[in-house]
Amino acid sequence: MTFKMDVKQLNLFYGDKQALFNVNLGLPALQTTALIGPSGCGKSSFLKCLNRMNDIVLQAHVEGQVLLDGQDIYAPSVDVVSLRTKVGMVFQKPNPFPRSIYENVAYGPRIHRLFKTKSELDQIVEKSLVRAGLWGEVKDRLPQPAMRLSGGQQQRLCIARAIAVNPEVILMDEPCSALDPIATAKVEELIDELREKFTIVIVTHNLQQAARVSQQTAFFHSGYLVEARETGALFTTPHDERTQGYITGRYG
Amino acid sequence: MKLILKKRHRREKWFKRTGQMSLYLVLFFLGVIFMEIFSTGYSAFLRTEIAGGSAPQDLLNAFEQYTNQKKSWSIASDAVDMYYKHGKLGKLTSNQLDTINSLKENGQIRLSFNWAFFTHSDSREPELAGIWGGLLGSILTLLVTFTTAFPLGIGTALYLEEFAPKNRLTHLLEANINNLAAVPSILFGLLGLVIFIHFMGLPRPSALVGGLTLGLMSLPVIIVATRAALSSVPSTLKESALGLGATPLQVLFHHVIPSALPGIMTGLILSLARALGETAPLLMIGMVAFIGNPPSSFLDPATVLPVQIFNWSRSPEMGFVENTSGAILILLLLLALLNGIAIFIRKKYET
Repeated sequence: MTFKMDVKQLNLFYGDKQALFNVNLGLPALQTTALIGPSGCGKSSFLKCLNRMNDIVLQAHVEGQVLLDGQDIYAPSVDVVSLRTKVGMVFQKPNPFPRSIYENVAYGPRIHRLFKTKSELDQIVEKSLVRAGLWGEVKDRLPQPAMRLSGGQQQRLCIARAIAVNPEVILMDEPCSALDPIATAKVEELIDELREKFTIVIVTHNLQQAARVSQQTAFFHSGYLVEARETGALFTTPHDERTQGYITGRYG
Repeated sequence: MKLILKKRHRREKWFKRTGQMSLYLVLFFLGVIFMEIFSTGYSAFLRTEIAGGSAPQDLLNAFEQYTNQKKSWSIASDAVDMYYKHGKLGKLTSNQLDTINSLKENGQIRLSFNWAFFTHSDSREPELAGIWGGLLGSILTLLVTFTTAFPLGIGTALYLEEFAPKNRLTHLLEANINNLAAVPSILFGLLGLVIFIHFMGLPRPSALVGGLTLGLMSLPVIIVATRAALSSVPSTLKESALGLGATPLQVLFHHVIPSALPGIMTGLILSLARALGETAPLLMIGMVAFIGNPPSSFLDPATVLPVQIFNWSRSPEMGFVENTSGAILILLLLLALLNGIAIFIRKKYET
């Protein structure tokens, strides 16, 4: 199997405290990988390692390799800015910029100069919003402040904003934890559609969600990757008893 | 159970009442101060004039006595002014009183708007003294303060908040800046005296030195306010921009500064308002001197409005009492204006 991203012997430290221990995980291209595990198990930290968002955390320190298309993203020659255009991110709480809906989506293409004319930019914005399933709801009010959208719409706007720069991988950190069930269903549907174009990694506390949207699931526990397999197999016949304990609700 | 509930309600009511009472007390004192200043100060905007040629020389202003008296109305002396406005006898002789009363009957004495109060500079004679010199000095001084303290303060705050490593040295620096914001302002005057006048040899009571000194005084306040505004920008905003591949500088200029701007501007304007009302440090650098001409450059001897008020309040002539209050009214108006601008900016950019 070809991996879009391949993590090898990853160790993460926050100061003296080690947060991840020898994690090895391959992320298959054009598939969704779900990261599950109890709070504080390191799954969000792992996610942030994939586009070097840990760089902004003081005293964070990474050992090991994270390969993107065979190239180590922690190599000194790699530019963090261009890495993050390839590996986009959607956060737990919807966090649109305090600007208009249009400007939110247009911001990424603007800073990376992905267009030549205004109409090209308009096309990028429209395409991204269509892909995020938001176009129909906002096409008549693009100049309005993004903060006026509902929480679910804001989260889909953030997804549109992330895909506007044409990433190859999208990281999602509990994207539905602040949303109601209907908005959650829409985002899940969207994740399923996005898989045609993007490799997706999603952190979730919701096991049903992991089962619904992902093809591969990885279970983390206190900094260790316990088990990572095809989603159906992991949920029906977990190998490790900690995994079984977690997915059957005995702890976590 | 009912008793406990009753007790709780009574306590809440009592607490609310006390709060209301203290608010009313503060409002009462504020009202008294404003009434006092206004009732003493409004007459500074009026002056007594006597019809040309109709009065003996000794009732006229000393300056008017020697200039041509072909004007239809001449400025009356301080003593006449006080008597006509407030009925204060002062040093007027009974002869002079009779003359004034006959002028009054003939309609040859009147009150008119005191333009000189706004267009003249300081003078030894209260009926000729005006605030223009002090006002211009204040404006020039504030300009210097703004152009030095604004870029330095904002730059320092940006560096400390966004780029500086968080180690013992920067912690020490932060603690000291916070302390500097509370240092008595007269110490900054001493600092200005040593640095700008003794060491750098800049001209003594000039707007340049005054502005630089007030700039030193405003720096810690601006830094503290700017840092507070910057640190209140949610980190999720920075993260989402970084996640899109924005460089740290782009994050700063596209997202952090625009979000923090209302707070920064408010802090800046409030610190300028404080500099506008400051007297003590300017006394230390010699701006307390009597200066009869408005400054024509940043290097000319100048004084500022609050210092002029301080000088007037020490003058023996009765006319300066109302001049003092009048100048305070103008100063208060300017301060209210600056605060109004701060509120306007905050409301406009706050979303």
